[in-house]
Amino acid sequence: MTRPDLSRLAPPGLALKPEKQLFGWGMALSALFSLQFFTRFADAREKLYWKNGPQRELMEGAVMEDFRALLGPSLAGFLVLAVCLAALIGVHYAYHYHGSRSIYLMRRLPHRRELHRRCLTLPLAGIVLCLAAAFLVLCLFYLVYMTFTPEVCLAPGQWQKIWSVLP
Amino acid sequence: MIELNNVSKFYAGKPALDSVSLQLPQGEIVGLLGENGAGKTTLMKCILGFLPYRGTITLDGAPVTPANIARISFATCEHSFFPGLSPRGHGEFYAAHFPHFSHKRFAGLMDFFSLPMNRPLRSFSTGQQNQFEVIMALCQGADYILMDEPFAGNDIFNREDFYKVLLGILEPNETVVLSTHLIEEVSPFLSRAVLLRQGKIAGDVRLADLEEEGQDLISYIKQTYRYRPDRVSRALDDLTGEGDGP
Repeated sequence: MTRPDLSRLAPPGLALKPEKQLFGWGMALSALFSLQFFTRFADAREKLYWKNGPQRELMEGAVMEDFRALLGPSLAGFLVLAVCLAALIGVHYAYHYHGSRSIYLMRRLPHRRELHRRCLTLPLAGIVLCLAAAFLVLCLFYLVYMTFTPEVCLAPGQWQKIWSVLP
Repeated sequence: MIELNNVSKFYAGKPALDSVSLQLPQGEIVGLLGENGAGKTTLMKCILGFLPYRGTITLDGAPVTPANIARISFATCEHSFFPGLSPRGHGEFYAAHFPHFSHKRFAGLMDFFSLPMNRPLRSFSTGQQNQFEVIMALCQGADYILMDEPFAGNDIFNREDFYKVLLGILEPNETVVLSTHLIEEVSPFLSRAVLLRQGKIAGDVRLADLEEEGQDLISYIKQTYRYRPDRVSRALDDLTGEGDGP
């Protein structure tokens, strides 16, 4: 399978390697940062039990902390990366004023959207990928939360509570 | 034909172009002449639609829009190429966007000026970058080639080569509008000179007509600008005090 030629979607002559590296490292660090969820989840789950000698027993009436609270800032890395990618849009436009005025060429192209296509496509695609990855991680964590939390300790409406932050 | 009708452009209330009306038919080499700040660059940028203006500018009767903009090319001393892209990359980019891009002319001119095809433009000398800027304007396949001080930074040999090549390769339907300060140098190659002064057309003359009258372009310009030959000596006298009487 041939790799897609991303240079056709970027400002002509712009070195894409640093941007690819930013994206790759950003995703990797965001994923790494999100793993803190498991520490918080394990701690909260531990609090549901009391030790009866060598055995662990579920405390009566114990309720697991809400998923939203355990999630905390786990997904913040993805959001920071998305903001960086949005800033990249400005860098792409500024490129046409740096070292020359290639903006003059871009503005007199018969394809009037070419400038915007080349400045917006990759950062927007990156933002979409970033948000998709954040959603995927969110779903994965939710699955872990629902699977490994004893059913009797689960408070109802966890999924809805995640979105209650939205207006 | 490019036609400007009562075109005015103001910067912070000051006129950069003041009711300029001008016709640029096909097949001419027009010198756009005038001192710094006369409005030469502004005029070109208005034609290309880079700046908002009052009045009308049409290309064969239609406003200049993306539908016909490919018929106008532009070379500027500010450079409009992509510094990180090679000439080969520029060739591909132009070919993808300008339907009449001339590969043959591009290859010929690159070869003539011995410019490397695969190095990014930012590694070129200023002179080479100027040459490349003009090459792209000539190869776009445009009917109207606007050049704004394209040779700033090139040596005289380089410039002369370019004038000769320019005359040699231009098709009868191609018009060049050349804004420059190098009046004496370009006058043998011009068919018409348009003089701008403080945003107004101060003169518009065919070089053939001047020749018939036995006048050269420089003296025409001096006459139009009401140039005072004694201006320098009087200024020096004032500065040194030598003109003061006892």
